[in-house]
Amino acid sequence: MRPLILALAGATLLICLAFLLVSGRNGAGPAGKEMAMSVGEVLGGNASAGFSRAVAPRPFHFPEDHGPHPGFRNEWWYFTGNLQGADGQRFGYQLTFFRVSLLPQAVQRTSRWTANEIFMAHFALTDVRGKRFRFAQRYSRAALGLAGAGGRPLSVWLEDWAARETEAQPWSMKLAASDDGMSIDLDLQSLTPEILNGEGGLSRKSGTPGNASYYYSLPRMRTSGTIRSGKDTFRVSGFSWLDREWSTSALEANQVGWDWFALQLDDGRDLMFYRLRRSDGSVDPFSAGTLVTADGRSIGLRREDVRLEVKSWWNSPASRSRYPAEWRLRIPSENLDLQIVPRLENQELLTSFRYWEGAVAVSSNAGVVGGSGYLEMTGY
Amino acid sequence: MILWRAGYRNALRHPWLTVLAVIGVSLGVAVVSAVDLANRAAERAFMIAAETVAGRATHQVVGGPSGIPEDVYRRLRLTGHFDNSAPVVTGSLQPVAKPGTTFQVVGIDPFAEPPIRSFSSNFTDRGTLTSLMTTPGSVLMLPETAEELGIKRWQSLPVEVAGARRDIALAGYLAPPDQVARLGLGSVMVCDISTAQELLGMTGRLSRIDLVVPEGAAGEQQLKEISALLPGDATVIPAGTRASSLDRMTRAFRLNLTALSLLALMVGMFLIYNTMTFSVVRRRRLIGMLRALGVSRREIFAMICGEALLIGVAGTALGLACGKLLGGELTRLVTRTINDLYFVMEVGRLPLLPGALVKGALLGIVATLAAAVPAALEATGAPPRAVLSRSVIEARHRKLLPLAACGGVLLMAAGGLLLLYEGGGIVGGFAGLFAMIIGYAMAIPAVVVLLVNGVRPLFSALFGVIGKMAARGVVVSLSRTGVATAALVVAVAAGIGVGIMVGGFRLTVQTWLESWLQADVYLRSADFGSGRSHPPLDPALVERFSRLPGAGSFSLSRRASMETPEGFTEILSMEVPSTTFLGYPFKKGDPRRAWPSFQRGESVLLSEPYSLRHHLKVGDRLTLRTRQGAVSLPVSGIIYDYGSDTGIVIMSRTGYLKYFDDPKVDGMSFYARPGVSTAQLAAEIRARGGGQRLTIITNKELKKATMTIFDRTFAITGVLRILTLVVAFVGILSALMAMQVERARELAVLRAVGLTPLQVLGVICGETALIGLLAGVLSLPLGILEALILVFVVNLRSFGWTMQFQVDPAYLVEAILLSVTAALLAGLYPAASIARTSPALALKEDE
Amino acid sequence: MSAPLVELKAVYKSFREGDRERVILREADLSVSAGEWVFLLGRSGTGKSTLLNLISGIDRPDGGDIVVDGHTINRLSERDRTLFRRNHIGFVFQFYNLIPTLTVEENVLLPLELTGKLTAQLKDWAGDLLAEVGLSDRGRTYPDRLSGGEQQRVAVARALVHRPRLVLADEPTGNLDAETGSQVLEIFQRLVRQTGTTMLLVTHSREIATLADRILTIHNGNLVDAARQVAS
Repeated sequence: MRPLILALAGATLLICLAFLLVSGRNGAGPAGKEMAMSVGEVLGGNASAGFSRAVAPRPFHFPEDHGPHPGFRNEWWYFTGNLQGADGQRFGYQLTFFRVSLLPQAVQRTSRWTANEIFMAHFALTDVRGKRFRFAQRYSRAALGLAGAGGRPLSVWLEDWAARETEAQPWSMKLAASDDGMSIDLDLQSLTPEILNGEGGLSRKSGTPGNASYYYSLPRMRTSGTIRSGKDTFRVSGFSWLDREWSTSALEANQVGWDWFALQLDDGRDLMFYRLRRSDGSVDPFSAGTLVTADGRSIGLRREDVRLEVKSWWNSPASRSRYPAEWRLRIPSENLDLQIVPRLENQELLTSFRYWEGAVAVSSNAGVVGGSGYLEMTGY
Repeated sequence: MILWRAGYRNALRHPWLTVLAVIGVSLGVAVVSAVDLANRAAERAFMIAAETVAGRATHQVVGGPSGIPEDVYRRLRLTGHFDNSAPVVTGSLQPVAKPGTTFQVVGIDPFAEPPIRSFSSNFTDRGTLTSLMTTPGSVLMLPETAEELGIKRWQSLPVEVAGARRDIALAGYLAPPDQVARLGLGSVMVCDISTAQELLGMTGRLSRIDLVVPEGAAGEQQLKEISALLPGDATVIPAGTRASSLDRMTRAFRLNLTALSLLALMVGMFLIYNTMTFSVVRRRRLIGMLRALGVSRREIFAMICGEALLIGVAGTALGLACGKLLGGELTRLVTRTINDLYFVMEVGRLPLLPGALVKGALLGIVATLAAAVPAALEATGAPPRAVLSRSVIEARHRKLLPLAACGGVLLMAAGGLLLLYEGGGIVGGFAGLFAMIIGYAMAIPAVVVLLVNGVRPLFSALFGVIGKMAARGVVVSLSRTGVATAALVVAVAAGIGVGIMVGGFRLTVQTWLESWLQADVYLRSADFGSGRSHPPLDPALVERFSRLPGAGSFSLSRRASMETPEGFTEILSMEVPSTTFLGYPFKKGDPRRAWPSFQRGESVLLSEPYSLRHHLKVGDRLTLRTRQGAVSLPVSGIIYDYGSDTGIVIMSRTGYLKYFDDPKVDGMSFYARPGVSTAQLAAEIRARGGGQRLTIITNKELKKATMTIFDRTFAITGVLRILTLVVAFVGILSALMAMQVERARELAVLRAVGLTPLQVLGVICGETALIGLLAGVLSLPLGILEALILVFVVNLRSFGWTMQFQVDPAYLVEAILLSVTAALLAGLYPAASIARTSPALALKEDE
Repeated sequence: MSAPLVELKAVYKSFREGDRERVILREADLSVSAGEWVFLLGRSGTGKSTLLNLISGIDRPDGGDIVVDGHTINRLSERDRTLFRRNHIGFVFQFYNLIPTLTVEENVLLPLELTGKLTAQLKDWAGDLLAEVGLSDRGRTYPDRLSGGEQQRVAVARALVHRPRLVLADEPTGNLDAETGSQVLEIFQRLVRQTGTTMLLVTHSREIATLADRILTIHNGNLVDAARQVAS
């Protein structure tokens, strides 16, 4: 359920920027109420006047739609993946590029620093055996070649963090990013066609028309390459998941957090589900998901189709927040009963917008099917 | 305390004496604290501004005269993976509504800022950041700055920037994290880097790149990697360099001001000494009586010092209050001079500087006490006789004369040695100067006796008995007149010395301008800042003006400065006809031999201060950072230049274009074709200027304008000179008035034996006029000596300028007139009051 | 007979006047017993005032010792001499020497304050003294408003206020007309004689010398009994 993080990221991008400017680089994130206020502000109709909105289903064209959609205010490329080294070490990675437009139309100015778009990127690496979780965050304006998205073949980059198209058929990308104590250099090749979520790619987040996004996924991309964790470099392989979403506004003010699952099951099925939580503690009816069968069929999931239970909790020592640590996810109609356990307890990103996002191990209660995936939890 | 009551009522009985003493102290304190305040306010302003704007940066990448190409930054980020770096584009602008007020424009990339600075706005809503980044001309400033400029959020403000009139808009407010940052941002406008580039005409360039580099080996390694990515004319310097080089640049100037203010305090101290001595001498009978009654020495000492303390405290309090007011004015003058001579800065609000106030207070009180100690010692030294005759005191004073004179001569000799010692620097120069002044002052009473004894026959011949009496009065009352005269001499001499120095300097600059400004008409972009460098001209315009029919030839110039680890190097590049070059004011080197290599860009000229500061002679080589890396060029000549005390490097435009990536031109000058008048040529230029905002100025006007700036620069010197004279004037007034009032009885006797009021006036004024005349005459040698020291030691060491030395007799005449006038005025009040009172009344007074 | 209050032992005192030395006292001896009134008679310039200055410790002898009330004052430090004077001696001058900036009352109180004895009781005593000299209504007046006689009466009160054992009077009537002078002497009789206070008085008037117990003159630097000198 990335629309939320997008919207929130867009909002927090702005306030957190300020926060960072004032507090230096150790800004661990703003206070919740500041965020909530800004969420409402970002979703306000006035601020988004002039931007396109996701109102009705639209035809998707690839590879064009892999590229940016400048008429919309927010957009992201969201890569996550579970990887394994030669002797079985497990790793998880996340590389995310957010694009935020400032104005619907670009202004013409002489300075090459002129920018209408801001990019934010998050990069995280989970070293399961080394029990290390590292993360980093960057901002830049889309100017002077410092950051941007576009081109044929497509490239999305923020300074030296980049995702570049290497092959159009099957669609393949190269991811490269490095920061203190971690780097990745990965080749991704999609094994499935683009999966359109929601109503043919229109993913409604609330009852308000236009509070929706265009949302597709590439749930299974074969991945190989090298990663570096600390001083050690590993050759790795596994699967990645790409989520693509763009919108102008998506959130309602009373939607305070969500739990998002992207699971790749050993039997070839891929499951995406997000649960939206409201401020009164209830589950939002617009919670939804998609199940992709091994033969590539996608089945839409509604809130009623999925049962979620929290089996245990974990307290973050850094933020003092309590996150669910073990989940049970059931889809009776599909005969799925899954146990979902983080590969590391602490995969919390203490970036300007604080959230938990990390690699999880999936096992079936019946012991029939296992798998890997990524879990994102916000608003805790 | 009955004893204290006696002292207190004594002060009340002679209120004006006390008032004058208080004024004396307060003037001295006011001048010193005002100058201190102004200096510190200026220093603080540019230090804090430099530091706030530098933020946490440890190093800075600086480039050639036109900055750094912006691609260097991208390379640093993308190739160098160096993310603790932030680009900065800075310059200055002036609000149209507030001419003379300069703001620093700091263009930043908010996304690169987090590791570096902490003064940006809280972008609590999306609008601020959006408009800052997307609306041209959007700036952030402190709420109080906006209030001063009378604008609210989203309102626009017309400004003069880079030679053009533009509108800027207030997009939001700066939120400084602490008070120091608030001070530092007082005259800063922050904007997006794109806005700064557009406003300042720096598209494609950066002023600098701020870096945060860790300490130790890792940091060294990083710096090495960064350096490898830089073009030849860019380099990495430690971030502290800027603040300290700004400090260094203005240090000599500020030191000179401090010295001048100390001169005022010194004169003030003479005044206090004089007042206190006089107050003791006048009360010698009272003190004798008290001693006879059993008042101990210590009690008397405490009483005198207590009085001095009261005067000191009152005077200091008053002085600090005046100093604060005066300080505001002086700060304006200091700021303007720094703007004219060094760099663009602004002191927003005069900060309350407790340090300066405490220093001023201590100085005032300690100086008062120190000046009172001799008097207190004299009072306690007096034997406890009921009546201690004045002649005894006078006799004792006279015995001290030769001793003081010898001491004075020795002190002057020591001062002379200090001045001759080259390594003494500016401080040594001033120490020598002060030693000379004090030594001279110490010898003055002895000289007065000699002179008065010499003129007495003349006085008596001219004015008869009355003249003789007046002359005798001067010698007899030497205990008071000696110090008063010394104070007047010191003040008047300072007036002469500073006057001659400034006059000589003015003349020097005038002569220099004759050979420096040879073209008929000068052109540059209109600039409302008072800075030394001007915004570049439009290249198309330069092209158009290169083909003026009325101009026989023309020159192009560009003045730009380059930041180096040692501070700023100003480079002046010129494309001039050889005749102009040959007419330059060479100090060293042969213009004919220098021309060929200069023209080819293979040698440079240095200005005199530059050669002195960097110890470079003709034939030495100067190493410059260019786009080809470090280039070493021979120095083919040293020329006089009075535009910058930091010094300039002059190279031909050919050379400049070869070494620096800066094709811009900021000045043109034209030589009229034979038969074309200057006015015609100027009109021709004006006609072709089109809509451009240009300053077109003829040779004559430019010289005049330059002299105006010169005079403005020395306005502060003039103010200090006048203040010193005021202090001296008050000093001589109080000393002479006190002396005459003390003689009331004596004068009453004169009236009783038949002198008319007019004759009494003659005696009094004769006496004071004689003192004034003596002071005037004695101040001449000291004044000339001071001028010599100022010109040949202090100025040379401070600014590196050779000046002509010319004694304008007007200053000398002025000095004598001034001192005689002051003295005569001082005599009028007592003369008038004695003429008004009946002699019987005066005689009846006890003793 | 009790021990002498004032004793001069071979006191030598001279002044330099230009190159010449003028001897005032040459091996002078004197003994004044407690309660005795000794008047010093003689022309101006014979050194009478110098003698008073020596006894009060204002000046120091060149040789010999001066013992007052058991203190060899010429061996005391300047500070101790001042303290001694302040505590033990009352001084009356020819020219009154009132402090012009203090009121009459303050002038009288000054010695008490100097000796640190200013109590309410003594303040009353000072008031009594002023009444005794007939000036109780002038306490708040400044000295320059008083006539010479009145000023001198204030000076007498000031000299007695701290109850000194020795009063030194230097021509106390020298500046006053005969009638006023005798008023002052009458006050002396009343306030000094009655309290048994010792007094050394310098005068050139033979008339008032009749009040003395003993009359001395200075002759060739020696103190001699005036009667004896007249006789010889």
